[in-house]
Amino acid sequence: MKMQRISKYITSVLTVLLMTFSVRAQNDSIANDSIRYAQKYGLRLGGDISKLVKTFIDDEYSGFEINGDYRLTKNLYIAGELGTEEKTTDSDYLNSTAQGSYFKGGIDYNLYQNWFGMENMIYSGFRAGFGTFNQTINSYTIYDTNGQPWGSQTTVTDSNKQSGLTAIWGELILGVKAETFNNLYVGFNVQIKSRITETKPDNFENLYIPGFGRTYDSGRFSIGFGYNVSYLIPLFKKDK
Amino acid sequence: MEKTSILILFLSLILFACEKDDICSEETATTPQLIVRFYDAITPEDTKPVSGLFVYGINDANEAIFFKNIIVGAKDSIAIPLRTDINTTKLVFHLEFSIDDNGTPDDDSDDIVLGNPDVVDVNYTRNDVYVSRACGYKTTFSNLGATLTADTDNWITNITIENENNTIDNENAAHIKIYH
Repeated sequence: MKMQRISKYITSVLTVLLMTFSVRAQNDSIANDSIRYAQKYGLRLGGDISKLVKTFIDDEYSGFEINGDYRLTKNLYIAGELGTEEKTTDSDYLNSTAQGSYFKGGIDYNLYQNWFGMENMIYSGFRAGFGTFNQTINSYTIYDTNGQPWGSQTTVTDSNKQSGLTAIWGELILGVKAETFNNLYVGFNVQIKSRITETKPDNFENLYIPGFGRTYDSGRFSIGFGYNVSYLIPLFKKDK
Repeated sequence: MEKTSILILFLSLILFACEKDDICSEETATTPQLIVRFYDAITPEDTKPVSGLFVYGINDANEAIFFKNIIVGAKDSIAIPLRTDINTTKLVFHLEFSIDDNGTPDDDSDDIVLGNPDVVDVNYTRNDVYVSRACGYKTTFSNLGATLTADTDNWITNITIENENNTIDNENAAHIKIYH
């Protein structure tokens, strides 16, 4: 079921990105093969390794994200991510699971002046993020500071699932991407996120939003990290 | 540029490491207690302290349950924790509570409990209300009712539900009035 969903995402992101590529390709029919200064333009596709690692080591988490970017100009890229996440949040009084999928789209801007022949990136960018998810309250304990004499605290375990929840957020990204082997890039990035809207479950709140991460009582902000490995499919070369 | 990004990363880590979200603060209003006020049966608008009052609960196994904040003494109001696992709490309002130890303070077996206990069943509907990620849920009570168990010597003459909506969702005012 999960694999099916994931493969659906891969297919759809490929379709979207290939469509943009075919439009581009028509415009750039003049092949410029000046080897000295040529920079590679193309579609870079990859995945978030940190989410995979966390899925294996953390029992309360599973996540998967593919990401891609497409170079528009020397320093400007359109970029996006598609992913799913499932996260169980457990505290002394409450255990809940958030599960859902998300899409993030935006641009990356390369701030790094590369040395001759290198195509690394130190970049900044922004994303608009959209998530659709459900929240399940697995169990909770009634918080009652005076009622202990009555015996063990009351724990309710009727699992209550609320579906059809959505969230929209914005992200500022800072990151690096380095070409390690030919066309193979590894990267690290930090995302500072701010919620714009969210639908809250009845008599509960979103403790974790897939794609956004955990929420904080203090406000709308959160932070995320990504370790990406991606492969550049070179489509054409340009001097600049 | 690299230095700036590392600095921003570092600052944001500090920012998010200081969150206190996961600790339920003592001040958080959680499950409210039942507030009972005692009034004069003859002049019902006046409060009247109950001398030597002791309040305790009776659990399903018919054992007395003592509350940590309730001690014997004259009072005109009292806060009592209700059960959050079922819809009825059985309480004993014990007038002039004292223990006659028969001159043997170390031997509990010949102790006699003096005074006049009256048993009141408080019944209600429970609603679990979300508080926060750290505190989870609290219970509030609605459809409040109270029944005095008749015995040969009831010191309580009447019980009324004070609250307009018959609900307990805070501890700001009395929920039940007991006349004596």
